[in-house]
Amino acid sequence: MRLTFVLPALLAAALQAVPAVAEPTAAPENAQVYFIWPHDGTVVGGGKFWVRMGLRNMGVAPKGTAVPHTGHHHLLIDTELPSMTEPIPNDRNHLHFGAGETEARVELPPGTHTLQLLMGDKDHMPHAPPIMSKKITITVR
Amino acid sequence: MRKLFPAVVALAAILAVAPAASTDAPANAYCYIGWPSDGAVLPAGKPFRVWFGLRNMGVAPKGVAVKNTGHHHLLIDADPPAAGEQIPSDRNHLHFGAGETETMLELPPGKHTLQLVMGDENHLVHTPPVVSRKITVSVR
Repeated sequence: MRLTFVLPALLAAALQAVPAVAEPTAAPENAQVYFIWPHDGTVVGGGKFWVRMGLRNMGVAPKGTAVPHTGHHHLLIDTELPSMTEPIPNDRNHLHFGAGETEARVELPPGTHTLQLLMGDKDHMPHAPPIMSKKITITVR
Repeated sequence: MRKLFPAVVALAAILAVAPAASTDAPANAYCYIGWPSDGAVLPAGKPFRVWFGLRNMGVAPKGVAVKNTGHHHLLIDADPPAAGEQIPSDRNHLHFGAGETETMLELPPGKHTLQLVMGDENHLVHTPPVVSRKITVSVR
């Protein structure tokens, strides 16, 4: 008698707990993040340049802001995509724009570099589906 | 008594202005229209994209109170309101309260002016105002 009572309660608790922990923020299917500047193959002189981050069918919101269909930009430099089920790392290869910035002044050493944009939700988690740009390669002279 | 009068007037002025005061913006915040360019000629009957540029400041949807943020408003054939004033919402004042950073726009043939102005979480123009240069486009 006692077991039959506990079991459904446990099951209900488990069903409630599982989606709450891992559920990512939904993004519009047609959302698109892209580089306005630079373009794939751009040669940058002087090492310092502005990166202009473009976003379609979705809005920008600072970190910690829970507004549907928004997120903030992350710029991945010389790195592969991180895990889509964990917060985006915060280091020199993963720049966060949690203040809602849509442009960034970036300085890179001479050579070829890859750049890619990835949107993160209020908790820096990639959305479902993840909103990422094409990975571009630029040359710094 | 005479000396007190200007002080009282000044105080009254401050008190009168205070309720209307909007959110502060960074002095170096810079807003611009990334596309189209000033003087651009655009084909009639075909929507074009407008890019909203913003530097030294961030974008946040309406109702979100985060320091140094605001949301874009696109003014079409209109002049921007002054600092602290509310931006109207009509066909000449488009609001992007969902944090959008670009839009598609279609205008009737003729000359039109476009200008961006940032608004705070309550659609009030920041202090100082964050406004782009006003550009003119021709739709033919």
